[in-house]
Amino acid sequence: MRVVVADDSVLLREGLVRLLTENGHEVVAAVGDGPSLVAAVDEYRPQVSIVDVRMPPSHTDEGLRASVEARRKVPGTPILVLSQYVEVSYADDLLADRRGAIGYLLKDRVSEVAEFLDALARVADGGTVLDPDVVAQLVVRRGRDPLERLTQREREVLGLMAEGRSNTAIARVLVVTDGAVEKHVKNIFTKLDLPPDEEQHRRVLAVLAYLRG
Amino acid sequence: MTQTRTASPPVRWLTQIGVDSAYVLFGFPIALVAYVLVFTLFTVGVSTIITVAGLPVLVGAVYAARAFADLERLRVPGVVHRPAPRPEYRKSPPGAGFWRRLFTPLRDGQSWLDLLHAIFSWILYTISFCFVVTWWAGALGGISSIIWLRYVPAPDPDSKDLNILLGLSDTLGARIALNTVIGVVFLLTLPLITRAFALMPAQFGRVLLSGMAEVQNRISGLREQRDSAVSAEATALRRLERDIHDGPQQRLVRLAMDLGRARQQLATDPEAAKATIEEALGQTRETLDELRALSRGIAPPILADRGLPSALAALASRGTVPVGLSIDETLPRLAPIVENTAYFVVAEALANLAKHSQARAAAVDVVRIEGRLAVTVLDDGVGGAHMAKGHGLAGLADRVRAAGGTLTVDSPVGGPTVIRAELPCE
Repeated sequence: MRVVVADDSVLLREGLVRLLTENGHEVVAAVGDGPSLVAAVDEYRPQVSIVDVRMPPSHTDEGLRASVEARRKVPGTPILVLSQYVEVSYADDLLADRRGAIGYLLKDRVSEVAEFLDALARVADGGTVLDPDVVAQLVVRRGRDPLERLTQREREVLGLMAEGRSNTAIARVLVVTDGAVEKHVKNIFTKLDLPPDEEQHRRVLAVLAYLRG
Repeated sequence: MTQTRTASPPVRWLTQIGVDSAYVLFGFPIALVAYVLVFTLFTVGVSTIITVAGLPVLVGAVYAARAFADLERLRVPGVVHRPAPRPEYRKSPPGAGFWRRLFTPLRDGQSWLDLLHAIFSWILYTISFCFVVTWWAGALGGISSIIWLRYVPAPDPDSKDLNILLGLSDTLGARIALNTVIGVVFLLTLPLITRAFALMPAQFGRVLLSGMAEVQNRISGLREQRDSAVSAEATALRRLERDIHDGPQQRLVRLAMDLGRARQQLATDPEAAKATIEEALGQTRETLDELRALSRGIAPPILADRGLPSALAALASRGTVPVGLSIDETLPRLAPIVENTAYFVVAEALANLAKHSQARAAAVDVVRIEGRLAVTVLDDGVGGAHMAKGHGLAGLADRVRAAGGTLTVDSPVGGPTVIRAELPCE
């Protein structure tokens, strides 16, 4: 894959470039601030960009704003945002355009190389990937009443769906059959009055839309 | 005040005699006018308050007293050698009705203190006026008796003049001598008498008219100090968060990344894995260094253990340029806030100097004078340091103010830079 990396810390940028290169990806640009990210995405049209939230010049949520800006210029360009902290409001900003091809992970997840690369590939394919911590916060924020109608297992499935996983992936995590997961998903959709949808990322968005209230 | 401080002592005394005498001599008639006017208005106002007409008269008395109070506040500082601030008078809220406006000055405590001063200060002024006039007359009349006494007809031989009573001869010379001696005695005691009898009404005025303002000023001073403390703390915390984020946190993420890679490489390329783990070890050591530097920045352990001289010596030896340190080695342990603030002034100034000044040498000087600790950091760099918002020195200024001190930065373009903090310490 052709990847753009944006992180103001040389240390992390280098680390990411090495990790990606070793795993057969091509880093077409590695930049250190928001405006350069927008320019690089516009110029190279990468298959996916990895963006740090906190970058110069503002040192606040520059990476988020640059990502939104980049997706405005190059609609739907896949972006995986990495952050030291998990903030639900950041996730809200990223999910606002409901186009998919977006990811938001804690930086630490990079150390699980295989999973990280898997998440990157899902984002590049147009999927939505959210950090389990974000999902957990969303579930807490949503309040308890309608979720209380779900069984423990169904709540687990809901969380994994929100993280952007497919039925097969969920089945693997929970060590159950695909059929069992499908049954849980159908129950969840019925109990929460969500429209049944076959397509993977539309289903994730529906779940997220529900969780974000 | 500055002229009197620089003038020589004799000039200072003469000036003070003049100021004190003028204060009393003018104060007496002013106090009489104030008494007559204010007391009349006040009594008329109070006695007719039952008819509504008395109220405006009473308010008139209050405003007259306020005018005399303002005049007195202008006159007092020359005598007591400190400012006599004007208190914040209560103001009617905007859009208040007629009655509300009328009552506002009456509800102000200071108004009644003004009235008190206008009605009673004449008593003190009368006493002071008598003494001051007597002493001036005695002094001037006595020492000039050599000129005028000869024109005064000789006293009736039967009368008992002072020179006779004292057993001196009844000659013109004896009388001149006696008068001159008395004049000299008056003259020598004149500074003392004018001082004492000027201070008496002046202190009375200061306490009544500016006492409240002094308390108000003290409170607003404390409020500023507290705001500075809050702001300094917020700045320090933000910086700490950023230092952690940019330093150890990044390194640990990279470390995790590298270890993840190493695990992956282990299966395919053990040699590469070994190299990656080597690197990861290096990262660990650097993370530890950074954490150590950070913790030293938060609360330097040596400062708590050994006090300011040792901590500053350690700081100076870590500097990027040679730093000359001058500090009294026997300086006792000071209050933690003073030690901490002094330490951070030096640390911040040296850090700033290393970043921006291109200095080749620096000097740190710490002295304790009269209950104040003066910390001076000087360098031979390019200057241009300032305390603008967002600059490192602005946070430092807040920190110094929080400790009740002041920070001055003198750094003309082209250098040299002098940063000086004065901290109160008992």
